[in-house]
Amino acid sequence: MIRNSELWGGLFWLGIGGYVVWAGHDMGLGRLNEPGSGFAFYWIGILMCALSLAIIGQAIVSGGPTLASLWEGTRWRKVALVVGLLLVYGVVFERIGFIPCTLALLLILMWFVDPVRWWLAIIIAFAATFGVWAALTKWLKIQLPSGILNGIL
Amino acid sequence: MEIVAGLAQGFSVALNPINLLYCFIGVFIGTLVGVLPGIGPVSAMSLLLPVTLSGTPEAGIIMMAGIYYGSMYGGSTTSILVNIPGEAASVVTCLDGHEMAKRGRAGPALGMAALASFAAGTFAIIALMLVAPTLARVAVAFGPPEYFSLMVLGLTILSFLSQGSMAKALLMAAFGILLGLIGMDQITAQARMTFDRLELLDGIGLVPIVMGLFGVAEILSNLERELKREVIQARIGGLWPSLADWAASKWAIIRGTTLGFFLGILPGGGAVIASFASYAMEKKLSRTPERFGKGAIEGVAGPEAANNAAAGGAFIPLMTLGIPPNVVMALLLGAFVIHGLQPGPLMMVQRPDLFWGIVASMYIGNAMLLVLNMPLIGMWVQVLKLPYRVLFPLILMFCVVGVFASGNAVFDVFVMVIFGVLGYLMRKFGYEPAPLVLAFVLGPMLENNLRKSLILSHGDFTIFVERPISATCLVLAAAALLAPLLPALARKRSNVALDQT
Repeated sequence: MIRNSELWGGLFWLGIGGYVVWAGHDMGLGRLNEPGSGFAFYWIGILMCALSLAIIGQAIVSGGPTLASLWEGTRWRKVALVVGLLLVYGVVFERIGFIPCTLALLLILMWFVDPVRWWLAIIIAFAATFGVWAALTKWLKIQLPSGILNGIL
Repeated sequence: MEIVAGLAQGFSVALNPINLLYCFIGVFIGTLVGVLPGIGPVSAMSLLLPVTLSGTPEAGIIMMAGIYYGSMYGGSTTSILVNIPGEAASVVTCLDGHEMAKRGRAGPALGMAALASFAAGTFAIIALMLVAPTLARVAVAFGPPEYFSLMVLGLTILSFLSQGSMAKALLMAAFGILLGLIGMDQITAQARMTFDRLELLDGIGLVPIVMGLFGVAEILSNLERELKREVIQARIGGLWPSLADWAASKWAIIRGTTLGFFLGILPGGGAVIASFASYAMEKKLSRTPERFGKGAIEGVAGPEAANNAAAGGAFIPLMTLGIPPNVVMALLLGAFVIHGLQPGPLMMVQRPDLFWGIVASMYIGNAMLLVLNMPLIGMWVQVLKLPYRVLFPLILMFCVVGVFASGNAVFDVFVMVIFGVLGYLMRKFGYEPAPLVLAFVLGPMLENNLRKSLILSHGDFTIFVERPISATCLVLAAAALLAPLLPALARKRSNVALDQT
């Protein structure tokens, strides 16, 4: 029971629903003829709690797959690596700049996450990075951070 | 006469060289994302949403619409040649299309898919042109209770037709509404769930949510398992179907077109449901149902006609009521909004050039698609041979760049990553993203119309059942909610329930 993924899913949403009910109440419910800012939040929170309880009830009665079975035989390390890379990309994007960050991201993805030939990775990474940079900044006039290349570009 | 004049005005807009170019780019990209498994029209449209800012509203919306109906065409190519649907509406085309390809009949299957799509697409545009002005006149009489109930109906039907547990789908719809309400209250200007972040005062952006839930989550799900693609190696041969193929397919195309168009109009309906329903209907009506799944050409013609007709039909609720019936139309609504436009009953009066320009561009786009899909099939086959390990880093880069460009804020990139992880986990745990996104878009409108209705009625909820249109919508929504409780209907639901991405 304790490993049932449906149960944990339901509990997660029950927690969110409970918080929304509290937040909605805190914002102010107003009156029925003049609903306040929290009116919709409050009732949506209650609906979420009710639906979560239905899912939890179903999980208790009918069971469900275990948490571990959801990741059995999968390449979850690649998934974790990509998520980590994206977070790092977000952190350093403005400081280091679009071109170095994107080049690094593409090369790491094509060398380590799901490898292609090293020279092909370099060609694709450079062509895509500079192609996108040129299209966005020159054609669409969208500003991308220059970062460490500020003054060169 | 009014329609002819409108259409003439529309063609003068659509034939403008810039709009023609955008139309071509739209249908080309649409076909490309339809062909490529792992990226669908939703991801492509949200990716290109910021690009529409650089041009006129009509050019941007023509391009976005082109991506949608273009993807319906392109999806069939992958289904037939690789047995992997390029996008969700082409899932059912795999069944007979790929069987035909394995038996050396890939050419007629591809040709029939393109021609059926063209016929249905053209019918849908004509019907849109005839139905929309009338419906828009009726829609002027809609008040807040009608809008509220119609949106409730749309969300309920979408949840009803979602795969798996209806409780989960409804939960996602509720969560989507909640996300849509984050930010400044339109009436009291109170900050709601912003956690003292200035970036959240204007609410969460549609693009990072959609790119996360559909783009990044799709990549993460694909990465955790090996994607095996076997492209049919034999020569594709002549694309033109034989007379026997036409004879077998003509009624399937007509039925698929009609069914698809009406399912497309339905709030919560769409191309995916239409293609499945058409396949089921053809199999049921066939004198030789045992041929289905073994290369029956009507199993390709019917669903392909249905998904294209539904793509056209889906424009009706958006253009006439301002309510998107599915996720793709929600994105198109986003494109309207970023240009300061509000689709709805008044758009045809205030911006007839835009409405008729879009309609006329769809005629042109359909003709372009026929050219792109018939003679250029060889090129799409080459695209299909591109390995996913090369594709996914590029898609990921486009996601990040597209999200950053949409708001010029790194905060949005983090939002995208968070929703990417959430979307990945949602797939694992069996929660669907489609109700969430549609509810996210409808959320602010839903709350606004609920509050207006209650203010109008002095807090009396009977306003929703006293007005016939509102009452009908709520009765239908209640029926959809209660249906899974009846075992016979629950079985029927599980037969038609599908992934709406």
